[in-house]
Amino acid sequence: MSTHVPGEADRAAAPAPLRPGRTLPGWVRRIAAMNETWTFGVLVLLVAFFTAARPDTFLTRYDITQIATNAAIYLVLGVGMTFVIIVAGIDLSVGSVLVLSAVLSAEYTIHHGGAGSGWGTVAVSTLIALVTGVVWGGLQGWLVAKAKVPPLIVTLGGFGAALGLAQIITGGQDPTGAVSGELQHSIGFGKLFGQIPWLVVIAFATTVVFGLVLAFTRFGRYTYAIGSNPEAARRVGIDVDRHLVKIYALTGLLSGLGSVMWLAYFGTTSIAGHSSDNLKVITAVVLGGASLFGGRGSVLGTVIGVFIPAVLTTGLIIMDVQQYWQDVAIGIVLVAAVYLDQFRRRGRERG
Amino acid sequence: MLESSSTRTLARGCAVLALVVAGTTGCDSGGSGPAAAKSTTLKLITGVKSDPFYITMACAAQEQAKKRGVKLTVDGSAQWDVAVQRPIVDSVAATRPDGLLISPVDTAALTPSLAQLQSAGTKVVLVDTTVSDSSIGVSRISSDNEAGGRTAAKALAGLMGDKGSAIVISVKPGVSTTDARIKGFTEEMKTGHPAITLLPVLYDNDLPATAASQIQATLAAHPDLGGVFAGNTNTAQGVATGLQAAGRQGKVKVAAFDAEPDEVTALKSGTLDILVAQDPAGIGAQGVDQAIAAIEKKEVSAQIGTTMVAITKANMDDPAVSKYIYKEAC
Repeated sequence: MSTHVPGEADRAAAPAPLRPGRTLPGWVRRIAAMNETWTFGVLVLLVAFFTAARPDTFLTRYDITQIATNAAIYLVLGVGMTFVIIVAGIDLSVGSVLVLSAVLSAEYTIHHGGAGSGWGTVAVSTLIALVTGVVWGGLQGWLVAKAKVPPLIVTLGGFGAALGLAQIITGGQDPTGAVSGELQHSIGFGKLFGQIPWLVVIAFATTVVFGLVLAFTRFGRYTYAIGSNPEAARRVGIDVDRHLVKIYALTGLLSGLGSVMWLAYFGTTSIAGHSSDNLKVITAVVLGGASLFGGRGSVLGTVIGVFIPAVLTTGLIIMDVQQYWQDVAIGIVLVAAVYLDQFRRRGRERG
Repeated sequence: MLESSSTRTLARGCAVLALVVAGTTGCDSGGSGPAAAKSTTLKLITGVKSDPFYITMACAAQEQAKKRGVKLTVDGSAQWDVAVQRPIVDSVAATRPDGLLISPVDTAALTPSLAQLQSAGTKVVLVDTTVSDSSIGVSRISSDNEAGGRTAAKALAGLMGDKGSAIVISVKPGVSTTDARIKGFTEEMKTGHPAITLLPVLYDNDLPATAASQIQATLAAHPDLGGVFAGNTNTAQGVATGLQAAGRQGKVKVAAFDAEPDEVTALKSGTLDILVAQDPAGIGAQGVDQAIAAIEKKEVSAQIGTTMVAITKANMDDPAVSKYIYKEAC
């Protein structure tokens, strides 16, 4: 480089802070070098802070299962979004696909027994929700991969169209009798061994399965490869287009699963209640260390990214902080957490 | 409800008949309408055609018009969108009705069309919503939202036994109707029920999931929480889910606004405890009366605030209360 880049020299001259000493054992350095460690540190700090501030309430009366239950649906959506963001894509349609899946499965339930329907209806309506998600996601994937429409536009269109269809089907009103009471009582409010809410079990299982898929399988390696450099991936023989379709279909599938969990927990389709799911989920994925330019990210990071805002909002409510200040605090923590991550990355890339 | 549905069907049949054969007296149900007003034509344009609130308003307006012996036709936009409502207003202007009752979906965008209508001689009555230009409309009729908030506070305090903590979870700040409801609620709680601790207002941005986690966190911080005032149906749904997951449903009382069919179902099932119903029927009927008064050059009330009623599981079968439940069809 012959041109002088301002700031480059200053940064190089500055002493590298926070670099683990050479004397530390290897496993400590490896853990410190992991993306998730740092965001996890932020989460631990927050939990420690709220526990110290309200020891009689935080993590006692308001316990970890409650936080996890409220985060479960966003977690499932976040797992899908992690894959999409790693391949340098984006999916703005998750909330609307959830609504459309919920509405179609609700329509089946309404005409097959309504709130009093049994497990047969639950099974079919669940299948309808999952298939709706896969089909819608797969279609969006095809448009991204084959028709070469940018994912931002495809999924923005999908966001509007899926919601519009849901509104056409229902006339814009949440239908009554949308969910079987069986589903609500067993999955929505039921607990495994009377301890762990089923919603949390489902979210945990989804997270583990797809976390392992991303980390240890060929599907996962292809995902990272395409995100880092799609042209190189193509040249080594990966069918990039097909893989992209699969990934968008996976996000759709998880939106469908999210809709089943939503119906079970809230008992209604909440057509108007999902307009900002996409931003919430994207924020979580980025907070978890994924790069919007692709090639980087992990399911574990996303889990942490979902929990940071969840802990923050509930903690601030428990401390009786006025809502306007809550929004300020959340904004600051989000930016600070990502800044910390960038800061550390720069340090690593330098030395 | 059941016994009156046949009379409503009759009324609707008559309204259709009156449209086909204008001036027929066969349907006169003994109303006090002056014979001179027979040729008077009124038009009602609602905000959202499929919304039970507006359906109830339109039904009552139609009934009142028949009673007064005037001709009323109803139209409404398919969505809450000024681009949808404006063409309807313009096409109505072409028919030059004597009076127009309208729920404008925008405070400014419809002003030129309405001003033109007014200068052409049509008496405009604003029902439910208004426009900011005060020269539009001979009368403005809407719910008194502050009074509604006070009604909610009284009913909630009653169910709470005048003790414990209460919280408002609303949709978002800066919406005039909900802000007025919160103001009335807060005032009544502070002055009328000082034994109840009112917690700071929370906003869920219309997301039930947010409302659910907010209510659980509040429950943890304030185990004496006894009442929640929910801003709208979505919020109420989220609050109810959060309470159910925390095992506190029924112990913490939930009040919500409006009395749409799915909310009434929620009231029956115990998900909600209080519905504060507006009076769309009253708004519609009074709108017709005011329009006729203006056309006949009689005294007109420039501003009318209609009352709200608290519906609970205990009083929902009382005909004096159940008439406030919104209808999905006339």
